[in-house]
Amino acid sequence: MDTRLEPRSTGTGMIIGFLSPTVILLLFMVAYPIFSLAYYSFHDFSALQPDKGMNWIGLDNYIYLLSDTGIWKRFVFTGKFVFLCVTMQMILGVFVGYQLQKTFRGRDVLFTALMLPMMLSPVVAGFLWRYMLNSEWGVVNYIVTLFGFGKIDWLGQAGPALWAAAVVDTWMWTPFIVLLATAAFRGIPETIYEAAEVDGASAAYVFFRVTLPMSAPVLFIALILRLIDSFKQYDLFVALTGGGPGSSTETVSFAVAKTAFSYFYTGEASALAVILLCIIMGLAMILVRHLSQMGARH
Amino acid sequence: MPQSRNQALALLSRWTLLLMLVLYTIYNLGPILWLMISSLKSRADLFAMPPKLVFSPDFSGYQSVFGVGAARDSASSVGVFDSLVTSVIVSTVGTAVAVFLGTLAGYVCSRFDFRGKGDFMFFVLSTRMLPPVAVLVFYHMMFARLGLADTRIGLVLIAVFINVGLATWIMKGFFDGVPKEVEQIAFVNGYSRNYAFRRLVLPMVKGGIAATAGFCFIFAWNEFAFASILTTTQAKTLPVKISTASGATGIEWTQICAAGVVLILPVLVFFYLIRRHLLMGMTFGVLGRR
Repeated sequence: MDTRLEPRSTGTGMIIGFLSPTVILLLFMVAYPIFSLAYYSFHDFSALQPDKGMNWIGLDNYIYLLSDTGIWKRFVFTGKFVFLCVTMQMILGVFVGYQLQKTFRGRDVLFTALMLPMMLSPVVAGFLWRYMLNSEWGVVNYIVTLFGFGKIDWLGQAGPALWAAAVVDTWMWTPFIVLLATAAFRGIPETIYEAAEVDGASAAYVFFRVTLPMSAPVLFIALILRLIDSFKQYDLFVALTGGGPGSSTETVSFAVAKTAFSYFYTGEASALAVILLCIIMGLAMILVRHLSQMGARH
Repeated sequence: MPQSRNQALALLSRWTLLLMLVLYTIYNLGPILWLMISSLKSRADLFAMPPKLVFSPDFSGYQSVFGVGAARDSASSVGVFDSLVTSVIVSTVGTAVAVFLGTLAGYVCSRFDFRGKGDFMFFVLSTRMLPPVAVLVFYHMMFARLGLADTRIGLVLIAVFINVGLATWIMKGFFDGVPKEVEQIAFVNGYSRNYAFRRLVLPMVKGGIAATAGFCFIFAWNEFAFASILTTTQAKTLPVKISTASGATGIEWTQICAAGVVLILPVLVFFYLIRRHLLMGMTFGVLGRR
């Protein structure tokens, strides 16, 4: 009787057969575009006038971009936005996640319900909040006036618009932090808490000295993922502010889209996209190193 | 009495925490409720100040989304209803293909060690980190050249592309959960790996496939950046249609609110179906390993 525990074939055929569709698709949809992008970025080229062809201009697109104050404004705005919303999301998410790891009636229903905003289309979120934040008839200003404050022109001024965008992004993505934080907190062995209780440690002490450090690897991954996502945020601003007032709420992604598809400066847009890509790949590399370290420990 | 003071403090901090959690819940769920309420308001009631909580429901927004009644959108080249159809077709087909490819790739990555596996897994994951605008510059030209611009087929390709990496990772996680002994039983009995995969392993991860499909559908359904640039008149999806819904009288809020609810509904359904797999899928299996 044949009692082998391995199949007759080595599986090479299956590996190639099962992986090749995905590999071909992704090479075609990712690798090829990125190489083309790098190629365009060294040329004076407009997709609107392909007949004029590509003129090699070396680093001129990059030099132009980096010496243009307009682009720096986009980076500064993106930086402020990323800092504001990631900070708020991490604090809120860890807080809510900590509350949700306690056992109480209806916890799982609440947990599931709280995940909802993350599942919505950013465009719907953007318009929904634009509707609620309207300075004249929006419900947010109605609540603000109930507390005796004056109406705020949320989306009509640069400062409030930045905060409004951060609040909306926080609304959408805090659930993601809650999700990961709760999972991390629940993974901490009960015995450690019991030991802390025996020692008479206060709740705050336990939280800052036990819970946070022990869940730090997962929280770090959550942080990097949110940094990457909020750095490339585009959809939300299309719906919420349209980049305005003026160009004060344009992110770097927004600037790439505008340069490429409103002005059709394809070469310049490519160069900016390459810069954006490098920053995000840098963040992704940190993430991957961290992920593989975690993987090695398990 | 320090004892009772400590107890009072503990009680106070418990109530403060509870209050904060309640406030967060209002911040989290309030806007979604507000959208649902607003979608049933007439144009006049939408802008009423103070906001009306009691009003007679008006379905004109929904009528235009579903293409019935007098409110059927005729001003723009693609009506809201056509956009809804496009969204359904693109998300469904795109999800089916992505899950099929992800299942194959996920199985191979779970069961075999081969050269470059780590690189492949990273490459596949990195597609999720890619800013859409970076590749859009190229897609814009490529789609025009291949005749894919403004077509549903083109958007299906996008839906597959944005989801195949996620599908591979989630499915790998589910396959990892199936013991290797399952295949070994088949080998002992003289069956091939292919047979073991199709007849034994695949039925065991049915739930996982459904969960993966739920995730992919939600992402395809919500996709905006690609669809907004790559479609102009014929193949607008519902999110794109919403973003351009401004008529002669400004932004069509009744339509936007109704379309927003219609966009949320399938998400709610899929979300309910995959709720138990949320942790598994969203964290790329990192937490599942514990």
